[in-house]
Amino acid sequence: MNRVHNAKLILWIITGLAAAVALNRYIFGLGVTTNLNDSTPWGFWIGFDVMGGVALAAGGFVITSIFYIMKREEFHSLVKPAVLTAFLGYLAVIFGLLVDLGLPWNIWHMIIYWNPHSPLFEVGWCVMLYTAVLILEFSPVPLEKFSRYAKIRSFLMKFRFVFVLLGIMLSTLHQSSLGTLFLIMPFKLYPLWYSNILPVQFFISAVSIGLMMVAFESLVSHWLYRRKPETDLVAKLCRAVVWVLALYFLVKMIDIIAEGKFGLIFNGTWQSNLFIFEVLISTIIPSAIFSAPKLCKNVKAQWIGSFMVIAGMVLNRLDVGGLVMLGATGDSYTPAWTEIIISLGIVSIAALVFLFVIENFHIWDIQPEDPEANPHALPTFDYSSRAWLGNPNVSSITKHSLAFIISFAAGMALMPGNHLYSKGIDSIKVSRATGVDTLYINGNRDDQYVKFPHQAHIEKLGKDSCNYCHHLNLPDEKLSMCWECHSSMYAKVNFFRHDWHASAKGANLRCNDCHKPGEARSVKSAKSCTSCHPTYNFADTTNTHLKHYILSYTDAMHNLCVSCHLIELKKQLVKDKPNLAQCSTCHKAGLHQIITEDINWKIKLPHFNNVILPNAKQVEMEMK
Amino acid sequence: MSKGILTDVTKCIGCLKCVSACKEVNHLEMDVPRIWQKNDGLSAENWTSVIQRTGNRYVRKQCRHCIEPACASVCLVGALHKTSIGAVVYDSNKCLGCRYCMMACPFGIPRYDWDKTVPHVEKCILCYDRIKDGEQPACTKACPTGATIFGDRSTLLAVAHKRIKDNPGKYINKVWGEHEIGGTSVMYLSDIDLGFLQYQTNMGTKPLPADTAPAMKSVPFAFVGMGGVMLGLNWIIRRRMELSKEQSEEKSKKKESADE
Repeated sequence: MNRVHNAKLILWIITGLAAAVALNRYIFGLGVTTNLNDSTPWGFWIGFDVMGGVALAAGGFVITSIFYIMKREEFHSLVKPAVLTAFLGYLAVIFGLLVDLGLPWNIWHMIIYWNPHSPLFEVGWCVMLYTAVLILEFSPVPLEKFSRYAKIRSFLMKFRFVFVLLGIMLSTLHQSSLGTLFLIMPFKLYPLWYSNILPVQFFISAVSIGLMMVAFESLVSHWLYRRKPETDLVAKLCRAVVWVLALYFLVKMIDIIAEGKFGLIFNGTWQSNLFIFEVLISTIIPSAIFSAPKLCKNVKAQWIGSFMVIAGMVLNRLDVGGLVMLGATGDSYTPAWTEIIISLGIVSIAALVFLFVIENFHIWDIQPEDPEANPHALPTFDYSSRAWLGNPNVSSITKHSLAFIISFAAGMALMPGNHLYSKGIDSIKVSRATGVDTLYINGNRDDQYVKFPHQAHIEKLGKDSCNYCHHLNLPDEKLSMCWECHSSMYAKVNFFRHDWHASAKGANLRCNDCHKPGEARSVKSAKSCTSCHPTYNFADTTNTHLKHYILSYTDAMHNLCVSCHLIELKKQLVKDKPNLAQCSTCHKAGLHQIITEDINWKIKLPHFNNVILPNAKQVEMEMK
Repeated sequence: MSKGILTDVTKCIGCLKCVSACKEVNHLEMDVPRIWQKNDGLSAENWTSVIQRTGNRYVRKQCRHCIEPACASVCLVGALHKTSIGAVVYDSNKCLGCRYCMMACPFGIPRYDWDKTVPHVEKCILCYDRIKDGEQPACTKACPTGATIFGDRSTLLAVAHKRIKDNPGKYINKVWGEHEIGGTSVMYLSDIDLGFLQYQTNMGTKPLPADTAPAMKSVPFAFVGMGGVMLGLNWIIRRRMELSKEQSEEKSKKKESADE
């Protein structure tokens, strides 16, 4: 029974990790625990847990329709496990939704607020009703254990056919409606996947994945409990799936050819390669394997083929569910490890419950041995070497709880500590102003000049006003220009050049010239800039002294110009004067206006001939 | 009367007054650039943004308030709905956070409070509370150049076509949002191509909810049809089994009689 023990151990470890991640997700929100973003609001969880999960749980309705409707009595031994898998699958989908939904406590709202136009409304109701039907369908199994509920059980057994029929009808609806969900995204979904008959494709592929899921589940559970595999039954399922896959392939290809999208399959983009890969592993290779009757009965081929169909169809759900939309949205998305671990965790919990039910209830015709029944059967003491081989008293429950606790702790430790990721501000370099009497301040705004009458400002503000803008008193009366220090458009910039001050070729200062001796050489222990440069006129000396950071270009300009203009505006309320506090007075729309207003501008400034402007030709034409 | 907004890209100077007015009126907080944001400036705290395009053009991005909105048609609880006045509004009390609206929007407008424990969908609501009282939205009121104006949709369309007519060659002869996917309440007049505002440059004039309508209409038929097919199949198979049973019984009877 080691296989079962070890499998459970792994499942408990994943469950522990997932529990830690889920806790973080509920405390800190979706943003920091996932890679979901505004372009990809549906990620791995919807693609795998919901779209894939519902498809993986299709085994229930497929096998019940074979057994109860088509009366193939030989599949009797597969029915109970398949219904159990379906039931657990739907519970897993609901759990997955509870993690993925932004407001999971509002999930019941779909019962009272109706929007029948929405495909999701229909899917939601169908999943809800089908889960209820599955409870009714499956409950005879646990009720079997309690003799006092025998009446209820016989009552449920009487209506079993009705439940089965309802289950099939509901499954048909929501399996196909999962495809309807994406009909409203013709611009986002890559054309190879988008199709008006997406619901039909989804239904057929759900049938194929349902058949293969029943086969795979039988293979896995029989391997785990070291039972003889049900080769003949699985072979029958494998033979049936060939027809379903062929139908799926035909429907898909006819649609693609009819819509004229055939060329897209081989055009070499990643989407086309993905499509070829998906169709190969979900349809072509497995149907090729299973069309050979010998391989149908080969256990290894059954393993490989059924797994390929399952993986391929889940990949199809992932593709439609968001992967192939990345081309249209243009943003990247890779599922975070947290997203994958939660999905795996939900599957693990479902698997653990499945194993529990198999061990404790009457699912199989022959009960598996209880692994706990005889722990002392293992040799615990080796007499020849006189050594203990292990403590038989450490039961599997202890081991599994330890695994859960340790992996939960590990999960908590692995969660990112910094919950405030930031893209930061794009660094945009500022360009210098040009002009003589009138400055054309460009900033970075793609030739959107602001006219700054330099001479007029000097005349108005007086000759001592230079330092309003030119803060630095540079040698040789060199101009101190805005863009040299305020060099970034939106970000604060450090302007103090420590290397230059310390180097021999620069200011050639020693440490103690600026930093107080005996103290740690930090910004705090340094002298103020103005103690050496008394003529420098900083707008906010305390700030620059402490941090050496200066305002961004936009902040600096707007602080300086707008604050002054607002004062001026209050002083003189003269009519017919331009409203200087209004952005649009200075920020004119379009370069064209400025150039036509001031046509001599180019003649005045000969060095401007080198600058290529978008409509330089127009200007020349007008000059001629 | 359906209201709307007309934005003239040629008049916009990119002063962002609309953005700050929007923030003030809708009580939106300071925006920190976060990893999950798209690079178009819209976010949970920015319901409108101004996108800078080459050639000194500024394009205001906001919810287009489609005539037949995809987001409202897919919302399973009807948290989003189109009001008679033209605004597509959001009821956070109904929402359960499935984010289908964000998937369905062909313009990629709705944003999510990814960083909050109680997240909601965030998007422009055309200042519904203000326009209900006859006021205009904060953004159009704040615009210093009249680049973005508010009014009845029909009036705005007339204004747009008049501008195109009066200034030949200035604009591309098209009002963005007049017919696309059934028309939008927020429209654009431009001299540059505005295809970047949507996922596909040419989206056609068919409203998006019409794509799902046929599939949704066939739902009851599929439901009843599947039930009927299954019952019929079951009946046929049972009948066959009965017949074969009878036949085998008859055969065995015949055998028995022959033996006797």
